[in-house]
Amino acid sequence: MNLKRWLLLTPLLLILLLLQSYLWVPTYEKQATGNPDRLVTYVEASSGDAKILNPILNADSVSSQIVSLVFEGLLDLDENLQLRGRLATDWTISETAYLLVSSSNRFPDGTDVTGARLVKRIRAALMQDAFIELASNVRTVDVLPPASETHTIVIQEQDAEGNPVQQTVEVTVDVPERVVFGLRRVDQDFFQRLIPMIGDRYLVHFPYEQYVTFQEPVEPTVKTQVLTQVADRVPVAEHNPVIEFRLRRDVRFHDGHALTARDVKFTYDAIMDPKNLSPRTADFEPIKHVEIIDDHTVRVVYKRLFSPAINAWTMGILPEHLLNAESLDAEMRERNLSDAAREAFGMRDSRFNRDPVGSGLFRFVEWQGDEFIHLQRNEAYWDGPAEYQDYYLRIVPDLLTQEMEFRAGAVDYYGAQPHQVVRYKDDDRYQSFSSLQFVYTYIGYNNRRPLFADPVVRRALGMAMNVEDFVKYILYGEGKRITGPYPPNTQWYDSSVAPLPYDPEAARALLETRGWQLNADGWLEKDGRIFEFTLITNSGNPVRKNILTIAQDAWKKIGVKCNTQYFEWAVFLKDFINTGDFDAVVLGWSMGIDPDLYQLWHSSQAGPQQLNFVGYQNPRADELIVRIRQEYDLDVQRDLTYQLHRLIAEDQPYTFLYSPLATRVLDDKIVLVHRQDDGTESYEKIYPIPSGDISFHFHQWRKLELTPEF
Amino acid sequence: MRAFILRSVFQRLVLLLIVSIMAHSVIHLAPGEPSAVDPSNPRMKPEDIAKIRAAFHLDDPLYMQYAYWMRDLMSGELKSFKDSQPVLGKIWRRFLNSLPLFLCATLLVWTLAFPVGIQAAIRRGAVYDRTTTVVAYTLISVPGFFLAYLVILWVVNTFGVPVIGLKTFGMEHADPLFRTMDRVWHLVIPSLIFASGGVAVLSRYVRSQMLEVIGHDYVRTARAKGATEDTVIYRHVLRNALLPFVTMFGLLLPGLIGGSVIVEQIFAWPGLGRLGYEAILARDFPVILTLNFIAAVLTLAGTFLSDILYAVVDPRIRTGLQGDA
Repeated sequence: MNLKRWLLLTPLLLILLLLQSYLWVPTYEKQATGNPDRLVTYVEASSGDAKILNPILNADSVSSQIVSLVFEGLLDLDENLQLRGRLATDWTISETAYLLVSSSNRFPDGTDVTGARLVKRIRAALMQDAFIELASNVRTVDVLPPASETHTIVIQEQDAEGNPVQQTVEVTVDVPERVVFGLRRVDQDFFQRLIPMIGDRYLVHFPYEQYVTFQEPVEPTVKTQVLTQVADRVPVAEHNPVIEFRLRRDVRFHDGHALTARDVKFTYDAIMDPKNLSPRTADFEPIKHVEIIDDHTVRVVYKRLFSPAINAWTMGILPEHLLNAESLDAEMRERNLSDAAREAFGMRDSRFNRDPVGSGLFRFVEWQGDEFIHLQRNEAYWDGPAEYQDYYLRIVPDLLTQEMEFRAGAVDYYGAQPHQVVRYKDDDRYQSFSSLQFVYTYIGYNNRRPLFADPVVRRALGMAMNVEDFVKYILYGEGKRITGPYPPNTQWYDSSVAPLPYDPEAARALLETRGWQLNADGWLEKDGRIFEFTLITNSGNPVRKNILTIAQDAWKKIGVKCNTQYFEWAVFLKDFINTGDFDAVVLGWSMGIDPDLYQLWHSSQAGPQQLNFVGYQNPRADELIVRIRQEYDLDVQRDLTYQLHRLIAEDQPYTFLYSPLATRVLDDKIVLVHRQDDGTESYEKIYPIPSGDISFHFHQWRKLELTPEF
Repeated sequence: MRAFILRSVFQRLVLLLIVSIMAHSVIHLAPGEPSAVDPSNPRMKPEDIAKIRAAFHLDDPLYMQYAYWMRDLMSGELKSFKDSQPVLGKIWRRFLNSLPLFLCATLLVWTLAFPVGIQAAIRRGAVYDRTTTVVAYTLISVPGFFLAYLVILWVVNTFGVPVIGLKTFGMEHADPLFRTMDRVWHLVIPSLIFASGGVAVLSRYVRSQMLEVIGHDYVRTARAKGATEDTVIYRHVLRNALLPFVTMFGLLLPGLIGGSVIVEQIFAWPGLGRLGYEAILARDFPVILTLNFIAAVLTLAGTFLSDILYAVVDPRIRTGLQGDA
């Protein structure tokens, strides 16, 4: 019977056909040993794919990883997290300061203020011994003539029903004479130092109404708002920090085009172009303008004091010749886009983002979506080519298969889970690293709630908890206890601040001083109410879930009743964090390297949707935060961050828990290669730099045929 | 017949419109924001977020967002929120990756399920039947991902060959024949896992369908006429038992999109299922909606195809339709 035979034969043949393919596939063993190229190929696995390979547009970690290899910035961070020159050979920071000449003001001795008189006075004062330090900083003092500026000001108002309405007002500002100071270094107290010469009311009172002409008559309330905004735009005293970068002369993009100051300016312009929707605009917003001095010199003038702004220049520089208006036009023509699409077409839509050309250590070769990204070393890299010839990022979404590929030798790197660390440490085929990262986990208390308003209460809650146990049992020891708002691997972290002691008895005693007495049921009670609140976190994070349980148990021991709940991330943010409607929360921060904590801790940032969602308020902290971001001297800045760290640790708005360590495993045959001048090589074991990064020397990494002995 | 086709095409178009509107509103009702709009990123100011929201039309009323989506989809210029790449191009590339896996798994399901099911029906109650029953129910109840892990670990540890991904990594320079065979090998395990559940379910259907038909009078008549057992089973019983499966054939189509999320995730297979899954995680509305739309089109096309096929193979239905027209 034919049909019967076919019914049996077809599946058999199909399966045979499929299974025979096994015979053609190279085993892992063969791939590794039979292939000398494998030693100069680095393969890493990632669970997610990159999104957009453009330094000004990417916002996810996988894209940044690739972008940082393909592109290079003017600066980067050295082993001790200090800035060092890359595309820029060196840079100088100076300041231009402006002081409006207010002719309605009088000097302390009663004479009218004019530009010429002001300059004369200041110059004379600088000759005196009392101002010798100030004088050493002042390079030039000049007067700028008056100017007339037109400003368009947008006012937010509410109509009769309370809905927000925007009103645009055009005003002419007759900017009076200005004294302009050329300063050798940035000095945030410069104008305060001038007070003996100009009088102490000069800086606080400036009659803007005399200098502003309204195009159309407006209501008095609008007028006040406009004047406030004008005062922001044309301040009496204005600091303009200036950074001048000198660029390396021998740098070319991977297509051979020379990298010049034009590319730097283009990159800045591209970020600020609203069409590109760059997520980095905030980093570059403090810039007033970028000037090209010559092909290899760029001057960046800032609108105001904001010292972390220089860190933005670690971002990769784009090639102007591939992304300027003409190139994008050509691409649109080639792609035959409709008019509507042309209208909206920006850098974000360009093919460049999937086929980038940079000037970094590696050049881009190929990207197969959700499969792999392939880079090859840049032979012409100014600091010498990398040891590895090829770099692959394979996308393996599942962690188990990732580990399997790693153990089979098809991937060189594996981000081990904390519980796997011990296993890998004992295995001599691998080298494993546990090192710090820029993240930490905390329990945040809603400082606005009466229950948590008192720092002593928050301290007592922290003392009830044995944080060492958290690290030991939740993280298998792969964490470091922290005491304050900075990541412990930055220079801003004051390691002399002592952690809260674990002392439940003392904690209860502290609460007793605040009127909390144990009741018959074993709960703390005050004015007929027991100490009860809800601790929440987001779901999908087993570590945070464990913290909920342990904290709940620890607090129960001192008589505090804690209920726990977790919510889906989006709901968690929308209904609790953004609205500030929670008691206490377990969360973590992933931080940058700069010391600016304005958004996280300044009292002005405690509104809805803002990041100081615990509502921390301390005028002293506010002042420190502002001084830190305006300070350009590293040592002074560090001193200030230590003070801030201490202050916040004192106030305990969070119970700072720990900074989890990054646990990573590499094949043991991968080493640091040092090339001697005589052509010989020596090897060194890979080590993490103080910040915890193990791939800082990645350009020197290579795989050896045999496991080296160190 | 023509009237039937026209009417059913029209009905399906209306249904498609309703489905797309519902899907659009449901997806926008779900909490969460597209990943580019990230209010918890301290580097982003509210103004920047407002700009991005405006560019994605997220602040427009839902019906306007629907209109924008439809307009861009129809003009083929719909862009992903995630990377601004054209959505249709993305889907097409992933479709080409998913297709071999889908075809291979479907072939396995349909070629394996019939012999297994038929034999089980013939030997009802015998050891073979019981064994297949146990195996089938095991396969149905064991979660696919768990089975996949077990199989992967076993294959890798025993044979030492790679099983995940589209092809062995680093084989770009090998001989084309080797490369082809390598691709086939990488299909084997995922499609076997993908097919395992399907074989189990379908073979059960075949078995019960066969058993039902075997009991009919005309089968007894055929046997009484003296037809051989094979003739009875394969000509009289199987042909009539096949009828319901024609309908199932049409419904295979939508499985192209939704059926493979877990398998693709575990086997690092860059296919449609993973595209959809990742789009959902990133709230990449254009991609989610377009995939959903295509799935709806495929489902409707599938049912349409089943109706037609059914009419073609079953004369009773065909005459019924003609009478109706």
